[in-house]
Amino acid sequence: MAQTTGPYFMQPPVMSVRVEDSMDIMIVRDTVRRAGSLLGFSPANRAQLASAAASLAELVLKTGEPQELNLNGVRQGEKVGLQISSEAAWLANVATSNVLIALRSKLGDLVDEILVEGDNPPVIFMVMWLSDAARRDAQRLDEDENGG
Amino acid sequence: MALEALLIEDSKTQAAQIKDTLESVGLQVRVAFDGPDGLREAVENPPSLIVLDVKLPTMDGFQVCRRLKRNPATQDIPVIMLTEKADPKATMSGLRAGADDYIPKDIFAAEHLINTLQELGIL
Repeated sequence: MAQTTGPYFMQPPVMSVRVEDSMDIMIVRDTVRRAGSLLGFSPANRAQLASAAASLAELVLKTGEPQELNLNGVRQGEKVGLQISSEAAWLANVATSNVLIALRSKLGDLVDEILVEGDNPPVIFMVMWLSDAARRDAQRLDEDENGG
Repeated sequence: MALEALLIEDSKTQAAQIKDTLESVGLQVRVAFDGPDGLREAVENPPSLIVLDVKLPTMDGFQVCRRLKRNPATQDIPVIMLTEKADPKATMSGLRAGADDYIPKDIFAAEHLINTLQELGIL
């Protein structure tokens, strides 16, 4: 399995799911929810993470090439998060900025960060930070109370 | 006394399956088959938990969830959306409507539902 560690320090949990058919999308959702639970994400945040990971898995399926989807804890200073990553050889000849715009458009605010790094092959990284997620939960409740 | 869940689900087959899951962990379950009935049930006899489908006749689950969360009589009741619409946009719509979790109806749905009930302190 290729190392797709990304820009942050890795920490447990470290999990991976091989994506090769549509059943694997359910397994991806389930595994991400478990990883998110181990790191302390709320059920609502885990729903976001699962949806983001499933979207990445669906992209992998569309390429027709089986691929590992990696899930691991990450740390930056005091911040702890969950990173979802996958190699994306199919992006080799596409401008990174276009890829990021397309991913942001598809995933919206489901995750805090979307990065594409490297070119042999490129790797897509998505990160949700626990502290930012808690703040977003509070904002969502405020918006709801204010009719937003 | 057993805690009570209100299930708002228009499919009788799926309602029976979800009801079985909720009863298996000791909850009593009332079922409403559309949004307006569900809202009325929730206000008249507030349950400990609401499990809500997205695709409903008359009023969709997002609208139902928003109304539940804006009504002081029901705003503190946890709402779990259990749905076939699991794309990113629908997920965010459910969470922005105030749902406490948004769970796709797949083979892991029952397990995720029970895990969430435990985390929300309902079990």
